Amino acid sequence: MIPTNETVLSVSDLVVRFESGGRQSKKRTVRAVDGVSFEIVRGEILALVGESGCGKSTIAMAVMRLIKPTSGQIISGGLNLATIRGRALQRARQRIQMIFQDPFGSLDPRQTVMEAVSEPLLIHKVGNSAGERTEMVFDALRMAQLNPPERLSENFPHELSGGQRQRVAIASAMVLSPELVVADEPVSMLDVSARAGILRLMMDLRDRLGVSYLFITHDLATAWVVADRIAVVYLGRIVETGPSEVVVKNPAHPYTQALLNASQDGDTTISAAAVVLKGEAPSAAAVPPGCRFHPRCPKYVELGKPESCRSEDPRLHVIKKGEITRRDHSAACHFTDEVK
Amino acid sequence: MSVLRISDLTVDYRLGQGRVRAVDHVSLEIETGEAVGIVGESGCGKTTLGLSVPALLPANASISDGQIVLNGESLIGRSEEEMNHLRWKSVAFVFQGAMNALNPVHRIDKQILEAIQTHEPETSKDEAYARVLELIELVGISPSRAKSYPHEFSGGMRQRAMIAMSLACRPSLLIADEPTTALDVISQAQILALLGELRRQENLSLVMISHDLSAIKKVCDRIVVMYAGVIVESGPTDTVLRRKNGAVTAAHPYTKALMGAHPDLSGERILAPGLSGNPPDLSKPITGCRFAARCPEVMEICRTQTPPTVTISPGHSAACHLAVRSAS
Repeated sequence: MIPTNETVLSVSDLVVRFESGGRQSKKRTVRAVDGVSFEIVRGEILALVGESGCGKSTIAMAVMRLIKPTSGQIISGGLNLATIRGRALQRARQRIQMIFQDPFGSLDPRQTVMEAVSEPLLIHKVGNSAGERTEMVFDALRMAQLNPPERLSENFPHELSGGQRQRVAIASAMVLSPELVVADEPVSMLDVSARAGILRLMMDLRDRLGVSYLFITHDLATAWVVADRIAVVYLGRIVETGPSEVVVKNPAHPYTQALLNASQDGDTTISAAAVVLKGEAPSAAAVPPGCRFHPRCPKYVELGKPESCRSEDPRLHVIKKGEITRRDHSAACHFTDEVK
Repeated sequence: MSVLRISDLTVDYRLGQGRVRAVDHVSLEIETGEAVGIVGESGCGKTTLGLSVPALLPANASISDGQIVLNGESLIGRSEEEMNHLRWKSVAFVFQGAMNALNPVHRIDKQILEAIQTHEPETSKDEAYARVLELIELVGISPSRAKSYPHEFSGGMRQRAMIAMSLACRPSLLIADEPTTALDVISQAQILALLGELRRQENLSLVMISHDLSAIKKVCDRIVVMYAGVIVESGPTDTVLRRKNGAVTAAHPYTKALMGAHPDLSGERILAPGLSGNPPDLSKPITGCRFAARCPEVMEICRTQTPPTVTISPGHSAACHLAVRSAS
């Protein structure tokens, strides 16, 4: 199925702040997510890509409402998930499911596959009888290519390989027929040989059922093959977004270029000089003024340290129009025109 | 001259009633100043092979056959005391997840100092501390941060500190087990570049154990691919991992599958099929090729006969019946 125009998730101006430190005088505000907007339509895969600590997982947690956003809107199914509570929130959660990074930690070691996959049905009171629920679990297991489901449903997590465990996690996400699945680094803990199988399964479920994904990864190459669109996140902001092919082949933001540089297979030995980015990303508790990337930006140095990078916070702006607005290529850099 | 020569090494783990042969008659030679990468999925024996050199295998493991010769001296049958003397000075090991191995209650400089003083009691404290600062600078940490505690460092900096510590007694061989796995792309690239620099500057020989082919491609001259306890392919990194317009020069289907597992940004935008199934159970004897059950190019002969290792080009060899066929 190709993406349609039916929006399943629309996030606007999302802000998540955490207070850190104990005593009043030492209190600092961590701006984990600092004004993020994006949209996902039915059947679409959007990848959020960035280094650890950039806020990509916090965005996922906010979308799941595992944490409460400081401000902003998260619209799904006509409701603003950022503000609803209680039963309304529980009902909304049925339509958005999550797959976690670690299939060794996300499954209860004392639960059989049957118990794990049927638990969401019991929580959301889906299915009229135990028999009906069992059939739904078997269907979900078959969907996740765990065959034969009758035998596998009796297994405990320790009897399964890493890839199989992640399939169980996918089955328990899919058993409620969600519209959107938030997948936080779903393959980074798996063995290389098992990764492609899980990614293919996710893409296959999208094609067959039209489920959408918010796919969180630090790996641009994987995002490129899996996602329709990529949003590159740096220090709590989307700094570049566009169709995957465009972002990877014509990256506009110097940060995306650096990420790509680091992910290239390259030709054997690299020297320290080939690593464009020096140092670490600054802490989200001390976001640099102006463009948040300027202290590490190679372009900033190259252009003779322009004043605007230090004083003005660049907005995400369209640099190349797509055939539809959602597929515009945008970047948040003062000098995108010079960046080719 | 070779720093390390491993021949016919066989390592067994005792498990309950049975035993698992994790490394099965593996031979490997590392030249001075050379960097060799060992790849394979979890359970293929790569870490066991690495740990057997400094004799750091767990208690239920035993070397049942083979030789390990480091700088011309045999390491098999050495006492713990003798090995203790060789570790750090001749061979240093950076463990998987080593960045979490730093002691949280001691400052970084003190921990490195302790390593030097333990292994070289004859070195004076001032001299040893001068070396600590030198090492910290060598791995790209500002000496002003020497008095930091581990929690004040990021993951990438802790990994740098661990590498600095492993070099404390100027070893001739460094074995690094998954040195970049827990780090994100930018820190990974920084650590890999650092390992490359150290090799050239310090004339260090390096064994890098990893499941990440692109990491190995960036640092190592030679690659050794392991599957189910044996070496299935080895050769110059440029040759084995070469990809051009979708064509590969790797000879073994397992190597090709590993290469396909990660999308190539300069290639086609497709997801390779990946491998189905799991590696074989090593507690039972295996007939034929160990990879046969998962091999997309399996032939009749593969299920019955163990493939011999054949040379494909100088320095490049593979243990596969397909390679035998194209060689003859």
